[in-house]
Amino acid sequence: MAEQKRGKFPGGFRFNIEDRVLLLSVVLIILVIFFGAIEDRFLTGSSIRSMAFQCPEIGLMGLGMAIAMMIDGINLSINDTANLSALIAGLSIVKLAPFFAGHEFLSIVIVFLVAIATGAACGALNGLLAGYIGAPPILATLATLTLYRGISVVITGGKTLTGFPKELSIIGHQVVMGIPIPFVIFLIVGILMYFVLEYTTFGFKVRMSGTNPTAAKFSGIDNRSIAMKVYILSGILGAIAGIIVMSRTNSVAYEYGTRTYILLTLLISVLGGTSPGFGNVVGVILATFILQVLSTGFHMLLLGVRGSSFFKDFSWGVLFIAILIIDHFMRREKSI
Amino acid sequence: MKKLLNSHEFVVFLILMIISIVIGFRNPLFFSASTLFDIVRGSIVYCIMGLGVLMVLISGNVDISFVAIAAMTSYSTHMLLLGLGYNGGIGLYLVVSIVFGLLAGLLMAFIVNQFDLPIFYVSLGYQTLWYGFNLFFIGRAMNFNLPEGLVGYYSRFLIKVKDPVAGETGLHVSVVYLLIIAIFVWWLLKYTTFGRGLYAMGGNREVAIRAGFNVKRITYLMLALSGALAAVAGVIQGAYSRSFNPVLFMGQDLDVIAAVVIGGAAITGGRGSVVGTILGVLLIQVLNRGLIFLGVSAEWQKMVVGLVLIIFISIPAIAEQRQGRLKYFPMGKEK
Repeated sequence: MAEQKRGKFPGGFRFNIEDRVLLLSVVLIILVIFFGAIEDRFLTGSSIRSMAFQCPEIGLMGLGMAIAMMIDGINLSINDTANLSALIAGLSIVKLAPFFAGHEFLSIVIVFLVAIATGAACGALNGLLAGYIGAPPILATLATLTLYRGISVVITGGKTLTGFPKELSIIGHQVVMGIPIPFVIFLIVGILMYFVLEYTTFGFKVRMSGTNPTAAKFSGIDNRSIAMKVYILSGILGAIAGIIVMSRTNSVAYEYGTRTYILLTLLISVLGGTSPGFGNVVGVILATFILQVLSTGFHMLLLGVRGSSFFKDFSWGVLFIAILIIDHFMRREKSI
Repeated sequence: MKKLLNSHEFVVFLILMIISIVIGFRNPLFFSASTLFDIVRGSIVYCIMGLGVLMVLISGNVDISFVAIAAMTSYSTHMLLLGLGYNGGIGLYLVVSIVFGLLAGLLMAFIVNQFDLPIFYVSLGYQTLWYGFNLFFIGRAMNFNLPEGLVGYYSRFLIKVKDPVAGETGLHVSVVYLLIIAIFVWWLLKYTTFGRGLYAMGGNREVAIRAGFNVKRITYLMLALSGALAAVAGVIQGAYSRSFNPVLFMGQDLDVIAAVVIGGAAITGGRGSVVGTILGVLLIQVLNRGLIFLGVSAEWQKMVVGLVLIIFISIPAIAEQRQGRLKYFPMGKEK
């Protein structure tokens, strides 16, 4: 297996372009050309910018899902981690607003710190259940999903939280050198994740633990602490996504994205070529773009059709199963 | 006798009793025939779906698409029969929706078997797909036009009681369906090759295959049955609530799975029983209603369910760890 070798040697760059990345790039380009040809509004600056504003949140959660899947786990609570983190950060900023009069930009720092701490705590509970206690990750994270959503409902009483300082909306609405800030955050996080997974011993241990936990254990890797770190990282990624959502929509709702986001993050993760022991940050990012292009493209095509958002749900379901099937054939070909 | 006292089901039963007594002491209104029958009636549909979930959990899988299958089958059946001018009772509703449920389950099993995919992933897509299908192709609004045969179904009782607060209430007739289904599933699990195969699959899939179980056929039967049970639950719920809803049970998948897990089903060890599932559903129902009786607002329900679920998945996992049987990442196939 040639793939296992890469990333083993810190500092060693690999020049071979992987099949998955190549394939996803081709699909992405074809989709862009397709939608650009049949829809005039698709390749305009405003449409591309709105896509760049929209995709980071789902992409960050996709990365969080992917890293959990790399150790043969799953993080179904990631969307609710994002909502809960944003909620607690939002509440603290609303409560602390009088202390920051005149220093509003400091409040943004506080938001980040509180949200990331909450996300890490949510992740730590997942890591405790899935890693140390040894509960099946699907059930463990389904349980924490219910718990986190429940906490969000209790805190807000089921209402949407609004009324944040204006400075907070900068993250979700402003551009730096023409690039939307959420997208910049997404790229920075993506690059960091790439280096962590490819060029650090932690990344190597994650791969080992995911490929063969028994062998990893006998090589002196503590699978449990790896699981704990991975779930904490996953929670933090969720929290960053939560901040972006909060800033972009100027509100926090406990039910934001609960209908399809878990499906979409898994879709991104699988499409990006994640499987136990194998993960590909570039693939996940490309998969995010593909998903966004599809979403925006179909949205434009179906504009005016009654109930088109329901058709979208239907298509996501079909697409997800189709991608699982394609992935099955790709993996089978590789193993022969 | 000792075996009974040590069983998981007995522990759940004890917890159920303790919670009921505590709630009853705080609010004596809780101890009444009408509350009991109300809890039973509220539990029937979840028990029926739970028995389908039980089979899937025993086999070592998780399926969350049953809620969408319940919605799709009941709503489609209703719209179809309404369009045909059907005016009879629940019988034909059940038959048609069971056919839909079986087909949906078989299609899912086909995808799972043919492409060797984890049931959980497929079910995630399947859930979104069928809710979307329902809303886009069949209809968006709740439908309140019941055929004559279904009018008044919600108040057909086996035993009637008069209650000063709730008026006339009683033990609903659909409890008969639950009894038939529960005995059927119990028989399947205990006395058929299919049932034993489910436990074997859950214990160790590889060993089950080596032992000669036809794992693919078991998967077909399991998902088809689970789909059919979801369909029955969907129709009964529609008849109860006097309306058919395209997003029936949306977001309630976890409550049912939680109930079955609390009832002792574990996706790691091929465990679980019919009695445990029914007790688990009752426990969740009593908790939910009990919170209201205790004056806790409804917002706390989800959090409490989450906490209880975490406790109930942790206990068996810790016990397994004590026995040194922990698989490091139990979700994956053993390597």
